[in-house]
Amino acid sequence: MPKHIVRLLAVIAVIAIIAITARTYFKDPSFYQYGHYRGNAPAEIASKIPKLRGSDTCKSCHKAVYAEWTGGIHNKASKDGTSKTVVVKYGPNCEVCHTSAAGNHPSKEAMPLSVEDQVHSIVHPKHHTLATNVPGKKLLLSPEEARSVCLNCHEKMPGRPKEQRQIAIDSHAGVEMCVTCHNPHSPKIDFSFVPRMVAMQKVFVGNAVAGKSVSASCAGCHGATGVSVSANIPNLAGQNSGYLSSSLRAFKSKVRDNDMMSAIAAGMSEADIENVSAFYSQNSCKVTGGDRAKVAAGKAKVATAGCAACHNAGGLRGAGAPGISGSKSWPNLAGQNAEYLGATLKAFQNSTRYHTVMTSVAKTLSAADIDNLVAYYASVDCK
Amino acid sequence: MNKLPSEENMTTRDTNETNDEGQVSRRSFLGLMGTGAVCAGAAITATSSASSLLGHASGGNAYQQSDAQRIESLANPPKIPDYDWNKHKWAFGVDTDRCIGCLRCMEACKAENSVQEDANHHRTWVERYVYLEGSDKAIVDSQTDPKNIEVTGSEMRYRFDNRYKDVKVDKAYFVPKLCNQCEKPSCVQVCPTGATFKAPDGVVLIDAKYCIGCQYCVQACPYGVRSFNEQRGTAEKCNWCYHRITKGLNPACVEACPTGTRVFGDRNDKDSPISEFIRNHRVMVLKPEMGNEPNVFYVGIDKEVS
Repeated sequence: MPKHIVRLLAVIAVIAIIAITARTYFKDPSFYQYGHYRGNAPAEIASKIPKLRGSDTCKSCHKAVYAEWTGGIHNKASKDGTSKTVVVKYGPNCEVCHTSAAGNHPSKEAMPLSVEDQVHSIVHPKHHTLATNVPGKKLLLSPEEARSVCLNCHEKMPGRPKEQRQIAIDSHAGVEMCVTCHNPHSPKIDFSFVPRMVAMQKVFVGNAVAGKSVSASCAGCHGATGVSVSANIPNLAGQNSGYLSSSLRAFKSKVRDNDMMSAIAAGMSEADIENVSAFYSQNSCKVTGGDRAKVAAGKAKVATAGCAACHNAGGLRGAGAPGISGSKSWPNLAGQNAEYLGATLKAFQNSTRYHTVMTSVAKTLSAADIDNLVAYYASVDCK
Repeated sequence: MNKLPSEENMTTRDTNETNDEGQVSRRSFLGLMGTGAVCAGAAITATSSASSLLGHASGGNAYQQSDAQRIESLANPPKIPDYDWNKHKWAFGVDTDRCIGCLRCMEACKAENSVQEDANHHRTWVERYVYLEGSDKAIVDSQTDPKNIEVTGSEMRYRFDNRYKDVKVDKAYFVPKLCNQCEKPSCVQVCPTGATFKAPDGVVLIDAKYCIGCQYCVQACPYGVRSFNEQRGTAEKCNWCYHRITKGLNPACVEACPTGTRVFGDRNDKDSPISEFIRNHRVMVLKPEMGNEPNVFYVGIDKEVS
């Protein structure tokens, strides 16, 4: 055999031996067990731990909320419209709106529970996760974001089937949050959801001491303690901190426009807003006596006009403090300046200020009604 | 005639034939060999397809599985607790008449499977088809559309914007998409390392340990369901949450869907949701002309959807 052929065969033989040895050592023993793949792979893939746990997992702790959900329209099993035989789940379960229990539960990112600005922690039986304890982490959803949770499915949009309840948000609720009127777990009309959320949270975050120094720029008009210097400027003393902070944010973003306030709010940081709101909300207000007849007439009107449904801690039928709102995102009216309150109601009437609920309520009031109502609220103590 | 092979190739057929009388020319010999090879190939294909057809009738070999391997998978299935992959034949249904385009499925999938955190990588997604009045052509967008990213301001939270609010829309619908777990998966055929394969229960899986990231499968899939995970350097696709279905759970997207658009189940079980779904609807699959035989069955889609 010619020499060059022998050499070639030798090289081929060496390569073949290396290849066969490499294959013996490196090939996974389970390769080709079931096919052209590693036989151990399916079991490895299947061994991953599921993250979505299902609503039954949530039920073990959140019994009351679970019961609310199972009884409501968000947990509706229906027959398939076409075939009448397939029963399909209809409606979101827990993890559609709240991310999974295996995620960062019970953090804020996991749960869009912050129906209000001032919810600064998720109050969970075991973990009181404070937003302030997690630097740089946004644990809160703003009210707009919380609303977008509902609108993900319910915004009126071409392409959605007719059976889906769809909401044209501008004409339905304006800037109001969905949860003001609906309980998301069982979304019929239900005003109790926000007050319940407020009752749940016990952690107060704005720092009133730090807020006092911020308040220096407010004192010129609103007074050093929040009792304003003029009757057409609102009192801030004893006002809900949540309402104060949301108002300041509204001024800052010019959702609510006022030359003076928008300019001042524009210069405030998020911490300033929280702190100054905390400062004013802890102060006591000054109550004026006022016309007794008007006060009595106003007191009667409060019930019939429906003000108490929101602006009374106990709601329409409860015995709560008058003029103290059920939710911290709504303003307290107790101890408010009569002149300011009257001007505000008239602004709602002529739509210079707009709010879905307040605009429609204000339009039912006569000028005399407004006079009586504001006199009554000015006479009620805010503490 | 001592022609070089290159010259031989250059000659025309006519001159070739006139030159060769009485003896078998190289060209005709090669032609004969070619014909023989084609015939042999056809015979092999015919026998293998016949056996696979028969196999299907009696449970069936998985794609590219030999009979010996089939016997091994029956006798000695992978050690997955409380699960035997020979007893199941998974399938998926999508009823687009119910889809509201809320994209909860997509977010659930991303969380469940730790998919990359941007809008362009996904295991499942939803497309919106809109026909404006007077137009026969569908306008299609999905969560990767910049306007849809803008509406949430994050590539990790998905939502369709309401851009058609003020225009006249003739027809519009949403179509969820995911891996079709085809009976004849192109991706498995092209994988050079055996990193992706068809399991006997119907799911096409990826073995991340053996994937070399060549992305040939990404190119091969006619449905565009595969993507490349740059962080891991491996291909990425929906596996119907194999870690969930082997534990008796639904895939995450099915669990999250609030409207019952997504249906999942075992075709071996005549009462499972998917068996009922296929029995009671006129179902179709995407791109049937590709011959991949998908296992995701659609209801209510137009010819534009592919």
